[in-house]
Amino acid sequence: MRRILSLLLVATGSAAVITGCQKDPLNNLTPEESRIYITNRDSTVDFNSYTTFSVADSVAVVDNGKASKELTSVDQAYIDAAKKYMQQAGYTLVSKNQTPDVGINITRIYQTSSGVISYPDYWGGYGGYWDPYYWGYGGYGYGFPYYSYGVYSITEGALSIDMLDLKNAASHGNKIDLVWNGLVRGSGIFNQSTADSQVKALFDQSSYLKKN
Amino acid sequence: MKSILKIAALFVVAIPLSLSLKAQRGEVKMYLNYNYSLPLGSFKNDIVSKNSPRGFTGDILYSFNKKFALGGAVGFQDYYEKYPRATYKLPSGEDISAVISNSVQTIPVMVKGLYAPLGDKFSWVQPYVSLGAGINMVSFKQYLGEFGSSNTNVSFAAQAGAGIQVPFGRLSNSGLQLGAVYNYVPYTKNGYNNLNNLGVQLGVHFPLR
Repeated sequence: MRRILSLLLVATGSAAVITGCQKDPLNNLTPEESRIYITNRDSTVDFNSYTTFSVADSVAVVDNGKASKELTSVDQAYIDAAKKYMQQAGYTLVSKNQTPDVGINITRIYQTSSGVISYPDYWGGYGGYWDPYYWGYGGYGYGFPYYSYGVYSITEGALSIDMLDLKNAASHGNKIDLVWNGLVRGSGIFNQSTADSQVKALFDQSSYLKKN
Repeated sequence: MKSILKIAALFVVAIPLSLSLKAQRGEVKMYLNYNYSLPLGSFKNDIVSKNSPRGFTGDILYSFNKKFALGGAVGFQDYYEKYPRATYKLPSGEDISAVISNSVQTIPVMVKGLYAPLGDKFSWVQPYVSLGAGINMVSFKQYLGEFGSSNTNVSFAAQAGAGIQVPFGRLSNSGLQLGAVYNYVPYTKNGYNNLNNLGVQLGVHFPLR
């Protein structure tokens, strides 16, 4: 009996040691390291064919599927950063009334209730978050030619930057195609002090956006 | 991971119990080792290149005579490496920039034999060789940033080792041991080949009564 007890103690002790001497990868990440940056594009598009752009003057906030428009100081920081890095890539900033070639929409996506929202759900409701009327294309639809990348489950929050082809909307059957998307997920997003570096990261890994 | 711990705990209890009957005729010894592990080959190149100082082994061996012992062995090793941020191209065409963290825990459970060629003669330094075979329970977690995926598998495991034992005294059946063991661990999940590694061990052994 004593032997069984001592062996049980050894087993319990072993389990405790196993748990104790294991490194926890999540505790070893800074907020910056926790973030992932995902970009994709319509590979059939030549970004050199676009010259002008405009960024929507507010941010869509999609909270558990319901959308509203906001413009906080954090939102403004993301808008400013998008303008900055589009210009650095060689595009010319114009107002939305000057028929820009591409439009940029920025969206904060939250999921606070139980369950998850999948990224395809986000695309599915896009017309409800962003009325094409804003860009002067009332009655048009949206086109997402590369659904394959939208397989992520958003369990907390995500920031999405979407580039829309306004230039060819009429010739594409009254359809505004999504030609580039940047997605930021992880800790410390929606942060004014890191907004610039987050947007920069998306543009840095999308070298094809740079105009020759 | 919890289920692995339960299984390992069962083995820790079950192996010595099965040997306890024989202990009346021979001697049952426990060997406890701290284990420092060095990943080798594709384990080192593709998963974790850093050595692991977080591991231990525990053997309970029945000595048939002074030269030969046979019994069970369990262990635990934790491997971890965080790679600097880099951009990866996914098959779907996306580019993803992430800090990748790989976390691997192995729990070998083996039948092990030990042979000490000088067993009959007293020596302050007793060399030994060992062989073992069994299973390895592997938990592999990979994180992109804070987003992780986890796989738990059981694979074959075999090992060969060598080292020395130093008794605490002329008449003592307890002592220290220092050795190295090569672990062969095939692991063919997610395009990887193996988790082969070299363990350097330092520990104590003592009779179980």
